[in-house]
Amino acid sequence: MRDRISFRLQLWLLCVAVFVLCGPKASSQSPSKSGEWPSYAADLAGTRYRPLDQINASNFSELEIAWRIKTDNFGDRPEYKLEGTPLMVNNILYATAGSRRAVIALDPGTGELLWIHGEHEGKRGGAAPRQLSGRGLAYWTDGKEERILYVTPGYRLVCLNAKNGLPVSSFGKDGIVDLKLDDDQEILPNLITGEIGIQSAPVVAGNTIIVGAAFREGMTPRSMRNNKGYVRGFDVRTGKRLWIFHTIPTKGEFGYDTWEKGSAEYTGNTGVWTQVTVDEQLGLAYLPVESPTSDFYGGHRPGNNLFGETLVCVDLKTGERKWHFQLVHHALWDMDISSAPILADITVDGKPVKAVAQPSKQGFLYLFDRVTGRPVWPMPEKPVEVGNVPGETYSPTQPIPSKPPAYSRNGVSLDDLINFTPELHARAVEIASKYHLGPVFTPPTVSKLEGPLGTLTVGTASGGTNWPGGSYDPETHIAYIYACNACIEPIGLVAAPKEVSDIAYIAGTAGHEVTILRGPGENAGADSPKPKKGAKSEYVPMNVDGLPLMKPPYGTISAINLDTGEIVWQIAHGETPDFVRNSPALKGMNIPRTGQETYNIGTLVTKTLVIAGEGQVTTTSDHPRGAMLRAYDKKTGKEVGAVFMPAPQSGSPMTYVHNGKQYIVIAVSGGPSSGEYIAYALPSESE
Amino acid sequence: MNSLRISGAAILGCVLLALCVVRGQEPASSPRSVWDGVYTEEQAKRGEPVYTRECAACHGAELMGGESAPPLTGGAFLANWNGLTLGDLFDRIKKTMPQGAPGKLTRQQNADVLAFMLSRNKFPSGKTELYKQSEMLKEIRFESQKPAEKK
Repeated sequence: MRDRISFRLQLWLLCVAVFVLCGPKASSQSPSKSGEWPSYAADLAGTRYRPLDQINASNFSELEIAWRIKTDNFGDRPEYKLEGTPLMVNNILYATAGSRRAVIALDPGTGELLWIHGEHEGKRGGAAPRQLSGRGLAYWTDGKEERILYVTPGYRLVCLNAKNGLPVSSFGKDGIVDLKLDDDQEILPNLITGEIGIQSAPVVAGNTIIVGAAFREGMTPRSMRNNKGYVRGFDVRTGKRLWIFHTIPTKGEFGYDTWEKGSAEYTGNTGVWTQVTVDEQLGLAYLPVESPTSDFYGGHRPGNNLFGETLVCVDLKTGERKWHFQLVHHALWDMDISSAPILADITVDGKPVKAVAQPSKQGFLYLFDRVTGRPVWPMPEKPVEVGNVPGETYSPTQPIPSKPPAYSRNGVSLDDLINFTPELHARAVEIASKYHLGPVFTPPTVSKLEGPLGTLTVGTASGGTNWPGGSYDPETHIAYIYACNACIEPIGLVAAPKEVSDIAYIAGTAGHEVTILRGPGENAGADSPKPKKGAKSEYVPMNVDGLPLMKPPYGTISAINLDTGEIVWQIAHGETPDFVRNSPALKGMNIPRTGQETYNIGTLVTKTLVIAGEGQVTTTSDHPRGAMLRAYDKKTGKEVGAVFMPAPQSGSPMTYVHNGKQYIVIAVSGGPSSGEYIAYALPSESE
Repeated sequence: MNSLRISGAAILGCVLLALCVVRGQEPASSPRSVWDGVYTEEQAKRGEPVYTRECAACHGAELMGGESAPPLTGGAFLANWNGLTLGDLFDRIKKTMPQGAPGKLTRQQNADVLAFMLSRNKFPSGKTELYKQSEMLKEIRFESQKPAEKK
């Protein structure tokens, strides 16, 4: 009861905490829609495309910083993981920022702060599974009212007046819908610490807001039981719940029988933690669903586990399932569907197809007819390796797209290992020999001191393509997708002591302490459970003298023609890292640009360019310590310009036109650099 | 008057001697880096359980990172910190970690965790423990590549 009272007090305090520095300025001109960026991924189709061309190949390198805003003070501590993509609508730029996940409104020409809104959620915010500033927010207007919607770390949906940042009192209760309530389940153990939240931006289509759910990392869960990640639709005017989609079916619902031994009753997670895509014309929403509880061991959830790792199409207004396609049966690799589905109206064999394209951690671009759910090209079930972890059940087959070909590495063989020199390759082979290797969908193993220590994978937990997703040019029908090509994940399983977890096996390495990977700050006190000790084994680094175990390219951008299912071009994205370029072991060798092993790079497509920043800092003869924002000719992949950033790209770039000038805004942070939004534009003609 | 002159000369001499001793220990022309054995094995061992308890939740038991935190080993980690100092890294940890309770760990615990991270990244250990003052740690460069052997 005390918590509830203080919670109400917090709500009042929040109203007081909202302050208005000044009202939004009257717009001096109404830019065309193509000059705005009204949704997280530019539009509800998830394209990250704007047909702007003021910034082009001839002048990209001339870009300079127009304005910048540090996010340090939008919270009680700086944030070093700023992942937001701002919106720009009606000459106001909106973004989430800082460790408070504040909402800020800025003048898009100067970066001047117009208003700010912050929620002080106390313990509820501190216990949230997904903290920090999140990925962004949503904008809605009916032509008169304008509203901004976002979800707090403590899982509350907030509706603000876009003009002044004040909560809209007619929405929910004083502008807030408590997402831990009215969820067809009791969030356990209580509203304050109950594990559920989200970091992605809500989506608004028509008058429907769609919100998913996220949880803690699922590699070493404490229990096979967890809260479930249902998806809900809300009325944008009132906050009233319109519908709910049970990502884990309840008894009697379709798919319940894919959870054998009653495991649908207690299994949780299976949320939609990334961006939802909507076809407003068809009235359909596309939900990319993540893995069920326990990423790497499914012995307590036998069966195919619908709708885990499934693309689900639902009716926008009712949430009724229209079709679904499970990308991975009985998830064992943390292949959450991690990014926004992309809507693409393509032409295949002379016939128009309304398609939806789903990038993935596993490097496949899955294409479906978005009306029927039928694969655009055959996606046959193919036999995959069946493992032997005690108690585990395996799907003997998985669907493999026949087209397009995998655009990033999704398995590990000896041929994938570093091969700059025979000596380096031999040492990589020695490391890899301690693990089980195989192609995509090679299952995890029990970790043994004598080997294997686990299965060596790429294109699993990190990906491949993770949350930034891809981008798409609706004029040329080409998708541009970044992927990490060398993000290794060794997956070994160890028996979990009963006092650590009620799950039989959790991620770990033989001879190492069994560790519960908890959420940030959770159960980190002096009385937290002691890790178990066992026979020690040598720590095996996933590199050779600091050089990546895998051979380059480490990170790529692929251009994929969705009419033909062919990769048009593929380039290494990112400067060769210093530790590779300057490696004594590689002295005298001419190594082409390798790209970088980062997984969180988003791309932007304009009329002529594909634009993406680097995820790592380098120091070269061309630039001081920093990272580059690069532009490529979208037809060829040839680099046509680059501009210096003081820190790595950590949020996907966006673009807009304000007062006749094109801007590119990007979130940068990481390592020693706290979060900052930086806006680039061309110098004024007078300069 | 004479005694004052003598005292002044004595003090000056002592200062010069002290400076020579200090310079003899750590020549200013050759600042230290993470390759110079700046932590001890014992300290890294002390840091491991602290890391496991306070850091592994997000950064992974094998320091390889997760969806919500960057890796603390390998290329991405080395790239982030190459060219900076251990003081910069120490300050970052002290100021923002653990995420749920920044500043919770003592300076000694932070230094021990840092020692563990250096150990896992295969930087050599030495005979003296890592400092726990960021000002002093700023004198130790973070270099991802081992410098050429000194003659």
